[in-house]
Amino acid sequence: MHRAENFTRIVTRAAQWGAALSFAVLIAAVLIQVAGRMAGSSPVWTEEMTRFALLFLVAFGTGLAFRSGDLVNVDAVCEALPGRWPWALRLLSSVVTGALALYLLPHAWRYVAIGKAQTSPALGARMDYVHAAVWLMLALIAVFALIRVLGMLSGSSDGKPIKQHEEA
Amino acid sequence: MEVAILFLVFVAGLALGIPVAITLGVSSLAYLTIAGIPPVVMPQKMYAGMDVFVLLSIPGFILAGNLMNQGGITSRIVRFANALVGWIRGGLGLTNVAASMLFGGITGTAVADAASIGSVMIPGMKKAGYPANFAAAVTAASSTVGPIIPPSVPMIIVGALSGISVGQMFLAGAVPGVLMGLAMMVTAYVVARRKSFPRQEWKGFGEAARAFGGAFWALAMTFLIIYGLLSGLATPTETAVVASVYAFLVGAFVYRDLPVARLPSILTGSAVSAAGILALVGFANVFGWILVSERIPQAIAEGVLSITSNKFLVILLINLLLLFVGMFMETIAALIILFVPLLSLAQAVGIEPLHFATIAVLNLMIGLTTPPVGVCLFVCAGIARLPLMPVVSAILPFLLTNILVLLMVSYIPALATWLPSILID
Repeated sequence: MHRAENFTRIVTRAAQWGAALSFAVLIAAVLIQVAGRMAGSSPVWTEEMTRFALLFLVAFGTGLAFRSGDLVNVDAVCEALPGRWPWALRLLSSVVTGALALYLLPHAWRYVAIGKAQTSPALGARMDYVHAAVWLMLALIAVFALIRVLGMLSGSSDGKPIKQHEEA
Repeated sequence: MEVAILFLVFVAGLALGIPVAITLGVSSLAYLTIAGIPPVVMPQKMYAGMDVFVLLSIPGFILAGNLMNQGGITSRIVRFANALVGWIRGGLGLTNVAASMLFGGITGTAVADAASIGSVMIPGMKKAGYPANFAAAVTAASSTVGPIIPPSVPMIIVGALSGISVGQMFLAGAVPGVLMGLAMMVTAYVVARRKSFPRQEWKGFGEAARAFGGAFWALAMTFLIIYGLLSGLATPTETAVVASVYAFLVGAFVYRDLPVARLPSILTGSAVSAAGILALVGFANVFGWILVSERIPQAIAEGVLSITSNKFLVILLINLLLLFVGMFMETIAALIILFVPLLSLAQAVGIEPLHFATIAVLNLMIGLTTPPVGVCLFVCAGIARLPLMPVVSAILPFLLTNILVLLMVSYIPALATWLPSILID
């Protein structure tokens, strides 16, 4: 039990750091672009860097968005049902989310592999590293969905979203 | 057959409370499987959907709004709005609407507006003797001007879908946004007269000037954003990031209400909100690609045009459809799925894309305040600690007002297209 909590905390923190860091890179790249333009010449790589940073922001952030309820759903009707129904539907929702992400993982890996032979024009980055953002996004969705499913089945979670400010 | 499965799975997923993005993914996957298309198309289309230039500006605008919000802006905006209109009968209702309009120039989402203004105004109005359901209703209704007055996340999404410039989209929302705000103020006034709600003393021009001074740096951000986009000096993404830096400087050093220690959590929170929206865009891009390859937009256009090609009726039909969908579906998902199909129909009867885009956003915003799935309605009822029904009954006059403004914008294209045409073309 203790181990599971530790695992959850580590994954959450890592994803939060990843998302914040990607965002910081995005901001820095844009500011360099603006400063460069004002100075007369903007580096050519900033636009590409901004796009890649956004993809990794989404990769790290979507699992967290599932966890916090920012990955919106229409739950007004489900939550108004009597008895154990809302709990059961929350469980179903997490199972479907995890199953879709898990099913897509090998296919996303094939897409990553397609990028091997390509490099980006400005940064010269290997595109498989960039395509990996989609794989990572699905992997983290799967992990956070699994954490919720296990939490609900073990009774340590009611399956409701956990907002960032509610965290210890 | 495949298309029937696509829609069936989609509707079932929504009804079961599965996240909209995942529902779009599951239904698209069901289609691909039956149609024998390799699933590797999904990650490919998701990547393509998220790697779109104008979407880069979404995290920046969300961050700028959150920084301003945590930087002590709400109380200053409310004070300024109160100095302007608080002395009229039902003054706090009018203040609520005016504050939402000013706040709308800073954030691009209605829920942020409802939560921030609501947390100050709903308790304040209750204390001043206003019924709690009226306080919640006026907050929910007026929060919808947030994404109509620039900046606006839904309008960035429409820009990404249609190729219309974000600057044009933002400007097209300005006049309808102000019109909607003014109309809601009139409604709040009429309700206040009929129910004899209180008014406050006029506190003089001195207080108005002081309140303006307090809110000035926050309000200046709206102009910074519009200037950035219109001057051609900056892209939407650059404008959004510069606005974030500006919001940080104002919050931390001018207002001194933004603790620098909270910066990491604001950054992460904004990133997570943005990721939730962009993941939705990614999954919806697969769904949208299927609709286009199945020629659904053409089928809808042909189907409607076979019944009528009367522009007046087509606009009415589109509005009725969007109002209905908006009652059940999240705004951005609805936009991504329906915008392109309906745009073909609108263009077939001679509606300009910019005009149609404004109608669509305005329409779907109204859905945020209608039962059973109006997010802003839930947020405000929650703050007021009320069940949904009393708030629904109090919001009816505002809903009717907003629908009236929607119809005006629908049938008088200049309300949307005039400002962009004089400032951009």
